[in-house]
Amino acid sequence: MDRIEKYTTSFGLALVITSLFSAMLVVVKELSERTVLAWMKQATVHHWVTHAIMDLLVFVLLGLLLTKVKISSERLSQLILVSITVSGLIIAGFYLIEG
Amino acid sequence: MANITDVMLMAHVGFGMMCIVTGLWVFVDTLNVNEANIARIRIISLVAAASMWLALLVGGYWYVFYYAGDKAFILKGPWPAAHNFFMEMKEHVVFMLVLLATFLPLAAAGNLASNKGARNLVLTVAGLIVVIGLAMDGSGAIIGMGAKLAMVPK
Repeated sequence: MDRIEKYTTSFGLALVITSLFSAMLVVVKELSERTVLAWMKQATVHHWVTHAIMDLLVFVLLGLLLTKVKISSERLSQLILVSITVSGLIIAGFYLIEG
Repeated sequence: MANITDVMLMAHVGFGMMCIVTGLWVFVDTLNVNEANIARIRIISLVAAASMWLALLVGGYWYVFYYAGDKAFILKGPWPAAHNFFMEMKEHVVFMLVLLATFLPLAAAGNLASNKGARNLVLTVAGLIVVIGLAMDGSGAIIGMGAKLAMVPK
């Protein structure tokens, strides 16, 4: 198993988690218009901007916090592929049903 | 003559296309990696990331401040799904594309010539950038067509 640089690992895992977090946030905010979505609209100029900032914060914080985690590059590649696919399906599936 | 919103949209698409092309460049260069092209892969990875961020910032500004008018037209037109599905999906899936593009230079920082795992990681990330980028580009075309059709006199 190939070991990769610690920040490659930590930010790769941050990508995996942030992608899923972002997809779940889409579902939660759209189904909670009076609470979560209303707060996200008030927090910045637009709920989409708040969403982007939250994603960026989660990504950077996890990338800096997960530096102790050890994982092979093969496993990281698999996790990224699965996470991005599942996140994309959650978002597309949600708007296919609710849109 | 093009107005400011036209220029912003063209810049958004241009930077997005630049990200797709540079992502594909990184993918192909990584398939043929050797000591001679590692530096180029790293530079092009940075260009992909910068292009994606510029596409996001320009497109995001247009979306937040100028899209409402087009949205109202689209929803009254024959293709409301251009907003209800394609724009809603695009505006959120793009975050994954930004994460991937931001991560690409980190993935490309390893020794790709001697480390097969690092090479596969770059291929995975660059490949996803190309596939999702093309999906975003196609969605943008459908959104534009939805707006155009809505403005055609009945």
